[in-house]
Amino acid sequence: MFTRFEEFAATQMLGQPDSPPRSQGRLHFDHDWQRQLFGLALAVAKEGHFEWEDFRQQLIRSIGDWEQLDCAAQPPWDYYERFLEALTRALEQHRLASGSELAQVMAQQHGQA
Amino acid sequence: MSSDLFKYTEEREAASAAKVRALEALLIQKGVIGSDSVDTVLEHFELTAGPFNGARVVARAWVDPAFKERLVADTPKAIAELALPQGMAGAEGEHMAAVANGPGVHNLIICTLCSCYPWPVLGLPPYWYKDPVFRARGVREPRAVLREFGVPVAEDTEVKVWDSSAQIRWFVVPERPAHTDGFTEEQLAALVTPESMMGVALVPPPVAAAA
Repeated sequence: MFTRFEEFAATQMLGQPDSPPRSQGRLHFDHDWQRQLFGLALAVAKEGHFEWEDFRQQLIRSIGDWEQLDCAAQPPWDYYERFLEALTRALEQHRLASGSELAQVMAQQHGQA
Repeated sequence: MSSDLFKYTEEREAASAAKVRALEALLIQKGVIGSDSVDTVLEHFELTAGPFNGARVVARAWVDPAFKERLVADTPKAIAELALPQGMAGAEGEHMAAVANGPGVHNLIICTLCSCYPWPVLGLPPYWYKDPVFRARGVREPRAVLREFGVPVAEDTEVKVWDSSAQIRWFVVPERPAHTDGFTEEQLAALVTPESMMGVALVPPPVAAAA
């Protein structure tokens, strides 16, 4: 029984294939984009745009896809790359953000940089 | 070869970072999330509920024996005396109970049925906490498990194993390490690890003193 969505969401993942990296009781991020990404997925679910479980299934699928790749074609393991793939799929599936919209914003940001 | 690999990794990182930046901007622009939604959820893990709270509770118990007594007698009430972040006293916080290590007694917390864990003071459980082997052996042979964690417990020290449940979520007040006379509560809190509050580690003396 959790009173906070954040705790419910993280607990659902613990001990499961999508369990996030952590260290000394805290979430572990190697880069700031990973931290931002984790927060982003939770925020979208917390606002009720998709069920956390739906996102988790996308993440488990993405991890599974990576595991199925031949060694030669397999990029080095990166939990948060799988997380990013899962979030973009979930956003597309729930018609919250399409690949073309994302490409457009990336192009704009690239132009501003 | 190694420089190629480094460049490849760097490019991947940069591409992921750019994509996340764009995703956040897009979702805010479309009104899916608010401009502070991401910070709000991250704050929960980084500032509200985590091992930093437990460390403050333990540090207070080390400097104030009367507080330690109250903490063991009525944990939520004693914790409420401290100005910890609001929001940490959720359902998981209400059922917390502290047990104190001391001469002749060492406490270990486990959970044999589920993964009940006092989040607000310990943060996220380590990956092995839900492992059935750890849970079973913690009950059956706690001394052997502790030895493997690098915590040898003397024969004449009693090992108490506390099984957390939905009703009670235990945490351990470890013993104060040597060479910490004159330390402030803040300095003491910085020494406390989540594992020491689970009873699978001791709090080592400060690095400068040990060197």
